[in-house]
Amino acid sequence: MRILRIVSAFLRAAILKETAYRAELAGNLLRSVINIGVAVGGLAVVFSHTSELSGWRLEQAMVLLGVYYLVQGIVQTALSPSLNEVVSEVRKGTFDYVLLKPVPSLLLSSTRRFVVWHVADVMLGGAIIAIGLIRLEAQITVGIAAVFVGVMVGGVAIVFSIWLALTTLVFWFVRVENITMIFQLFFDTGRYPVEIYPFWLRQLLTFVFPVAFITTVPAQTITGREPLVAIWLAPLIGILALLAAARFWRIGLSRYTSASS
Amino acid sequence: MPPDISVRQLVKHYVVPERAGGLRASFRSVLRRKHRLVRAVDGISFEVERGEVVGFLGPNGAGKTTALKVLSGLLHPTDGQVDVLGYTPWDRRAEYLSRITLIMGQRQQLFWDLPAADSFLVNKAVFGIDDAVYKRTVDLLTELLDLGDLLTKPVRQLSLGERMKVELAAGLLHTPRVLFLDEPTIGLDVTMQQRIREFVTAYNAETGATVLLTSHYMADVKALARRVIVIDQGKLLYDGALAGLVQRYAPHKTITVHLERSVDLPDLNGQAEVLSVEGLQVTVRAGKDDAPEVTGRLLTQLPIADLSVEDPPLEEVIDQVFRGDGP
Repeated sequence: MRILRIVSAFLRAAILKETAYRAELAGNLLRSVINIGVAVGGLAVVFSHTSELSGWRLEQAMVLLGVYYLVQGIVQTALSPSLNEVVSEVRKGTFDYVLLKPVPSLLLSSTRRFVVWHVADVMLGGAIIAIGLIRLEAQITVGIAAVFVGVMVGGVAIVFSIWLALTTLVFWFVRVENITMIFQLFFDTGRYPVEIYPFWLRQLLTFVFPVAFITTVPAQTITGREPLVAIWLAPLIGILALLAAARFWRIGLSRYTSASS
Repeated sequence: MPPDISVRQLVKHYVVPERAGGLRASFRSVLRRKHRLVRAVDGISFEVERGEVVGFLGPNGAGKTTALKVLSGLLHPTDGQVDVLGYTPWDRRAEYLSRITLIMGQRQQLFWDLPAADSFLVNKAVFGIDDAVYKRTVDLLTELLDLGDLLTKPVRQLSLGERMKVELAAGLLHTPRVLFLDEPTIGLDVTMQQRIREFVTAYNAETGATVLLTSHYMADVKALARRVIVIDQGKLLYDGALAGLVQRYAPHKTITVHLERSVDLPDLNGQAEVLSVEGLQVTVRAGKDDAPEVTGRLLTQLPIADLSVEDPPLEEVIDQVFRGDGP
């Protein structure tokens, strides 16, 4: 209950902040629409030369692209703004104010900032998924939908964990923006199914930077394609990743509180 | 009643990277860092009773901020024991953090683009303050700090002094019982410093909160704290009444006389030193024990229009303490 109140107070402040700059809000929304439009157009161009890409049809690839933007939207709305704030606050020294609050620091550090207009990515992503599924004439049962949501939640948990772990490095190195950039590069490979990549890269994207679990596996689940790995692995890896990242955060924090000045 | 703050043999050492200036040294330090041990706090002990206002003095780098950070739970000490309100600060228990505040004059917590009132609502949720208490507190702080319409303007539009006032209010919404104020008046003009001081005094009187503050400005300390703790290079130099500090570290008095007409000065037997002669105003410095005799001699031997005997200014005393000239 208390947590809900805290998060909604932050959300309220974020909405106020965003709407204070209307021109920026409009510009960002436009950028979002153009971004996704170009990506869908790109897919259409590729599939005008071929009807299949490593076994994926255009509609299935669209669903995958939709999943990519959906996850990206969630991350950029709710997760990365807060974590980026941690990085800049540690440098400025205002992170102290987070530690002075009677709320677990990880909770506060990951729910403080929202960039609301990224919700547009979430909605556009959802729309592309819907269009793809309709054109596939896919039969979506409640069961399949539930599994899809579970797999998606697992995927978001994986993204969040990796991002959190990279952010935690700030307690040792202070400047870590470039490290989170590397993650973004890997994440970008998730616009396409992992099957299109060469063997070694596919392995890397499945087991090291598990981008496969974030977009390919959910898209396979809902379009009825043969899954890459056992589906139940996605939420499981999500939970394990969260636990590991939280543990790493605590280690980083204890370094901060014993070493900072 | 046990003291609100009890510090015993507090030690905090840091290991900091060290490198010489210049490009070559920079490159070298990327590959192999040299480290140096800094003894920020080196075995200090003191207690602060409920409702006391204590000034924490020391030159830059003396360890004041480090000590405040340990007390507010941000840093783990290297050694020693600290008890504040019955808690060990660095356990950072929620109940402890709800009862204290640390306000840093150089670091802001408010949302830059939003009016302070919106940041206040976030703090209200974070500290779980209920509506009635919140309203009462905001009213009290608005009155004491004369906030007026400052709360509804975006923080970025406020002047430095106005911003400090709303920062103070933000840090006090949860009505903490112990206040750690780190340079709360830094960079403010004299009038605003005065306002902040009056506020701290009034807040202390109104709520009975315990206050430990650091400041560069002697005026702050003189106005606020009857008791001062002086630290330098991590060690405690003095803990006691402000008056006692002057007594102990200023073993001389300054005697200023205004003459009726220009005359030669009498022989002062080496008991006093002439500091300045400006027209008819003569200033001499005499040892504390010699001061009455010197004053007597000046009065009997000179045509005096006016005479005053004063302790040297606090700044001078403190300066002397830090230079280690004291007894």
